[in-house]
Amino acid sequence: MSATVLNGPALNKPARPSQAAFRRWTEREAVFSWLMIIPPVLFLVLLVGYPLAYGIWLSLEDRPVARAGHFVGLANFIADFHDPVFWQVTVNTFVYTFAATVLKMIGGLGLALVMNQDFRFKNTIRAMMLLPFIVPTVLSTIAWMWILDPSFSVVNWLLRYFNIADPGPSWLGNPHLAMFSLIMVNVWRGLPFYAITLLAGLQTISPELYEAATIDGASALARFRFVTLPLLRPVIFIVTMFSVIFTFADFQLVYVLTRGAPANATQLFATYAFDVAMGGGQLGMGASIALAMLPPLALIIIAMAIYMKPNKS
Amino acid sequence: MANIIRAASRRDVLKISALSSVGGLLGAARASAAPKSMTMMHESSFIPAYDAFFKNTLAPAYEKATGIKIIYETVSVGSLQTRVTTVAETNNGPDMTMMIFNWAYLFDEKLVDVTDIAATIGKKAGGWHDSAAEAVVVNGKWKGIPFGNIGQLMNYRMDWFAEVGVKDFPDTWDALMEAGIKLKKAGHPFGFELGHGFGDNHGWLYPLLWSFGGREVAPDGKTVAIDSAETARAVDFCREFFQKTMFEDVLGWTDVSNNKAYLSEQISCTNNAESILYIAKRDFPDIGKVTGQAQNPKGPTGQRFHMLNPLTHGIFSHTPDIQAAKDFMVWVMDPKQAGAWYDVAVSYYGPYLHMFDDAPFWHAEPRNLPYRDSLTTSHLPGWPAPISRSQSESVAKYVVVDMFAKACAGKSTKEVISDASAQLKQIFGKPA
Repeated sequence: MSATVLNGPALNKPARPSQAAFRRWTEREAVFSWLMIIPPVLFLVLLVGYPLAYGIWLSLEDRPVARAGHFVGLANFIADFHDPVFWQVTVNTFVYTFAATVLKMIGGLGLALVMNQDFRFKNTIRAMMLLPFIVPTVLSTIAWMWILDPSFSVVNWLLRYFNIADPGPSWLGNPHLAMFSLIMVNVWRGLPFYAITLLAGLQTISPELYEAATIDGASALARFRFVTLPLLRPVIFIVTMFSVIFTFADFQLVYVLTRGAPANATQLFATYAFDVAMGGGQLGMGASIALAMLPPLALIIIAMAIYMKPNKS
Repeated sequence: MANIIRAASRRDVLKISALSSVGGLLGAARASAAPKSMTMMHESSFIPAYDAFFKNTLAPAYEKATGIKIIYETVSVGSLQTRVTTVAETNNGPDMTMMIFNWAYLFDEKLVDVTDIAATIGKKAGGWHDSAAEAVVVNGKWKGIPFGNIGQLMNYRMDWFAEVGVKDFPDTWDALMEAGIKLKKAGHPFGFELGHGFGDNHGWLYPLLWSFGGREVAPDGKTVAIDSAETARAVDFCREFFQKTMFEDVLGWTDVSNNKAYLSEQISCTNNAESILYIAKRDFPDIGKVTGQAQNPKGPTGQRFHMLNPLTHGIFSHTPDIQAAKDFMVWVMDPKQAGAWYDVAVSYYGPYLHMFDDAPFWHAEPRNLPYRDSLTTSHLPGWPAPISRSQSESVAKYVVVDMFAKACAGKSTKEVISDASAQLKQIFGKPA
């Protein structure tokens, strides 16, 4: 409408036809869509593409902090592959991501199913469930540091109180328990994200489908298996993808709780890259460790995309 | 959360680059005039009075004398290196900075050569200790002005030691282990950090290695020397020391853990800076009364060692007026100013200048004297080789710490030394 109003008087002046032509050109779908896409693309190129490209460039350089670097090709990556800690970090990161994601998926789905029922104070409890996700991670992790501290641990206090164990396990000092503890804290923090997203997914499923299934004689388990799960699959895929990405690149939990100790038993890609790049002043090598995350992460996402692709038929 | 942080840092980057261009123009305009203000960046001291003294006394005094305002910018504990890295990489930000450990070497090319003023400052204050040069001299040039050494020594419960018949702090590692065995039996284990902290782990493990005759690398800085009978003996000792005097948790400790454990009376001995006694006296006077401090024990070589932990001040080369920054540094290190600043922190920052060897603040708390005496036997990690990039990488990768930690967690001595040796060969094999 406004276009016609503006175009009307344009015919009287010589400069206007070109303006009108320009306007018509911009309104062509092929052109307009590009015009809309260019700003976000520029934004992404500048703020994501540039750092990524710079990171790749750094990883190919021998680049000490505050000094000029020189191109060394894949030497940093070759050095990483010969570094036993790098492989330990790789195994740690996979164990951490896999265990935490599976636990979050199962727990989150269970929580979402419970929250989808009708009960008193439903909304209040739903809101409270989000707390671990809302509290800044560093703060909640410091609370966990106290919970897992052997001298002050509430868990160990209970174990001692009920004569189960004295002095109780060393949650962060034992290599296996330290990894277990980190996974638990990650699950605690990430569960609400899963639960709320899956709950949103559950609420989009029409009750009629359940009614129809019930009439057909489907048990509760069968309704879950044949109605809930297939319809929830796209949501599960998205939420798992996000979770894998965030868990794989986790930094804060490890940095606050153990900084990778004992003897690198909890060292992950992100913390190791940080130690080498910042602590050691080896920016090139740090970048190569951080970038080594990319291919396995991409493979996991692609595999998930294939496996969990929603059935279009 | 991660995204918010990233977004914030992106904004900062944009702000920095925008400000830098403006700053560049301004800088060009007033190249010849004295600056109106300069910024000194510091990590927040755990002694609040130390930061307050700079802000409320030193900075106003300098402004009154010269008209130049000194801004004291504090950075939270643990994040100074990231901040210094950003400043050095972008050539923007504060004019001067506090540095620790081997940063004079790491940021060498972005720091002003201060050899001239180091000589002036030294001359005025009785000369420098030898370890001052070890901390800041890179390729023959002083790249920072050493302010104080934050020594890492033994902190112990005199009352509990006396209860098991140990009156003076043991002079050798073997004697310390003997005491520790008795104390653990009495319910007072030792607690030495074997995890991935910043300093309390290196603080006793490098000296332990050295006092047994073990070296990470030869004096040439290239030949890896860790695989030796001396290292093996140190590792065997450490494993036994851990098993007989400590508990598993120390393997996962960070730098706050041993302070917490000591002040809650969970442990009878640890290795730390003077902060334990300082906090104990302030917040837990009963513990403060019975806390002793001692130099690290001697090893089988008959020698004792300590970690050199220098707090130094450097001038960034991007500073518009280098001479103004140097003038300020000379002023602040003048015995009149520096002496008062040392005083506020009691003796937490042990001076590198001979003039203060017998300063009153050492005698305000005689239990701190071992920290003063430890300076002559203090070295940076990697000693006797000079500081290097490889050394920095080795520390960042916790090679020596983890060698000991893995042995304590149950791996064989041979295995942990060969792991460390392989890692060090890879690190030191690269061009310096």
